Amino acid sequence: MIAYNQDWLDALAIRDAAGEWHNKGLLSDEKWQAIRARHTPGFYTPNVFVRIGLAIFGLILMLAVMGLAAWISDPESDEGLALFGLFWGAVWLAALEFWAIGSARHYKSGVDDILLYTGIISIITSLCSLLPYDSGALADCLIAWPFLLAGSIRYGDRLMAAATFICSLLIVLLIVNKIPVAALYLLPFAGMAFSATAYYFARYGQRIDGWRHWNGLFATMEILALAAFYASGNYWVVQQVAHDMFDLAQPPMGWFFWSFTFVFPLFCIYRGIAGKDRVLLDTGLAGAGAAIFTFRYYFHVLPWTWAAAIAGAGLFLIAYFSIRYLQKNAGAYTYDADGRKTALQKVEEHLIEQTIAVQTPPASTPVKKESFGGGQFGGGGAGGDF
Amino acid sequence: MHENILRRLVQQELIAPEDADKIALFESEKPFSLHWELKTLLYLGVLLLNIGLGYIIYENIDSIGHTAIILLIGVLSAACFGYAVRYRQPFSRGEVESPTPYYDYILLLGCLAFLVMEGYWQYQYQIFGTRYGLATFIPMVLFFGLAYWLDNQGVLALGITALASWLGLTVAPQHILTENDFSSAALVNTGVFLGLLLIAITFASERLDFKKHFSLTYLNFGAHIGMISCLAGMISLDLPAIYFPLLCLAAVFFLWYARARESFYFLLCAVIYGYIGITYLLLDNASGLDFMDYMLYFILSCGGIIFLLINYKRFFKKTSA
Repeated sequence: MIAYNQDWLDALAIRDAAGEWHNKGLLSDEKWQAIRARHTPGFYTPNVFVRIGLAIFGLILMLAVMGLAAWISDPESDEGLALFGLFWGAVWLAALEFWAIGSARHYKSGVDDILLYTGIISIITSLCSLLPYDSGALADCLIAWPFLLAGSIRYGDRLMAAATFICSLLIVLLIVNKIPVAALYLLPFAGMAFSATAYYFARYGQRIDGWRHWNGLFATMEILALAAFYASGNYWVVQQVAHDMFDLAQPPMGWFFWSFTFVFPLFCIYRGIAGKDRVLLDTGLAGAGAAIFTFRYYFHVLPWTWAAAIAGAGLFLIAYFSIRYLQKNAGAYTYDADGRKTALQKVEEHLIEQTIAVQTPPASTPVKKESFGGGQFGGGGAGGDF
Repeated sequence: MHENILRRLVQQELIAPEDADKIALFESEKPFSLHWELKTLLYLGVLLLNIGLGYIIYENIDSIGHTAIILLIGVLSAACFGYAVRYRQPFSRGEVESPTPYYDYILLLGCLAFLVMEGYWQYQYQIFGTRYGLATFIPMVLFFGLAYWLDNQGVLALGITALASWLGLTVAPQHILTENDFSSAALVNTGVFLGLLLIAITFASERLDFKKHFSLTYLNFGAHIGMISCLAGMISLDLPAIYFPLLCLAAVFFLWYARARESFYFLLCAVIYGYIGITYLLLDNASGLDFMDYMLYFILSCGGIIFLLINYKRFFKKTSA
């Protein structure tokens, strides 16, 4: 299903994980060498800046080729232009499939990215340009959807997956919007129901071993689905939609959306910390910011300058005390960039405990254990150097 | 994910089952890092606090409360600097690790609060009169001093910004007086000079082994200010005969630097600025060419650059060997 060499994709994932274990001292040098010798991806994947450069100049090149071709062939009618776009879209996708991936072995090189985007966008815009003027956004979305989905699956591209998700959400909302009378009431809940389904599907997809090459796509979808879920019930979004599309100053069930605006981010932050789920935590934090902006949009309790200063001071203090707390209470949470030390110490402690328990009489274990637990974790408290 | 990878590696006998157990235990007990989230909160806090305070001052400039507010900002700035000085690490010519995680942010808060306070003094009492240069000179000296003394690259970036505005402000007014011409020539030349100066500082500090890790900050400013100034000289001053060779020199220099340090970032910068310059020069001077020639130029030049970028490493290895 995926265009790239699957063994190489696996090799990349294995090297990634094993490299981290090797860095943390969990794998010996010779085992790490053996793993690297066995799993060698043959992709051409340059540095990220080279990738950006290749994408920029690749795009200019493709546009110039299309410009030259248009100048020579001179397609005059609308149909001619659409055919021209379709032809070149197909050319770029063929170049991607057979040249960039097939023979040149590009993977995330900038060349394959830009060929995919240019090809898909040419095809979709050409097809949409054939529609009559009054066909509306739903028709455009319905045309774009299969191409976006196919591009996501075939090339495992995250941006394409994000576009597919947004396109699907739009299709659902635009269809619900056509329901007479009830649309106003159904729209927020349709958005929430769709996002919730997508969220659980994305989480399910990340657990399936056979779908591992699309892991990044599901992760993208998870973030977007959570954000879309919150946006569907946020009071500001609901009120704006009710005002613009239904000419209502106040949406029905305002109390529900107000409480959702505040409760859902808090729930996400709580679940994110308790369940060690970064996506939930970060979405919750961003949602809490959005909730404050929503509140200030309707109630001007403070001048914005004072609000900004107080919020800034508050954020700074929250972060300051959290870091202090985390440094003094090492445990399941850490301020360390990747927590390698504490976790490694724990593993070592565990192993030493086990070996000691096996080799020596149990009487000596408690004594040994004392020197590993607790310990000094001074950090940046009071005291200082003078 | 890691369970499947572990299982595969054990099956291939690349990892012993005991090691796999150890790794599985590590993965399950790995503490959850809140590093990124807390750092973002710290940064947002510093930013919001300063934006809020800065605007509060200007809104209340004529009211009774503004003395109290400016006093508060002054105390805040002094407290931050006091903290930074008190908990500083001993000075070193090399890189120094921050004593506490929030140390850098407290120092940044102090610097930004100082700027707010200084701006207020100038606005309300004109303590520097019309000598705006002095108003940027003082923070520049302060920020450079702090950056080197306390080893902070964020404050260094603030210092370079102050240096750029100081140079710009000291050069431009003289031109207004003498030629009554506020054209950008003075600014463009200042930009070129500043770019050269920043590059020179980088080389001096690398040669003297003094704060070598500041190179990236200096060169980043130097590359963009210098090459944008050259492009501005070519395009808006319409003096390509002077500025195009300068741009070429800069691009060649950064290409050389990219190759010497294997820095892909400066490679990309040099290629993009150089391409813009060459393309402008060609399009500006080519009359009588038709659309097809332009398209062919873009096809051939972009193809060449793509070839260069893809084969850059091979090119590099061949010449260095």
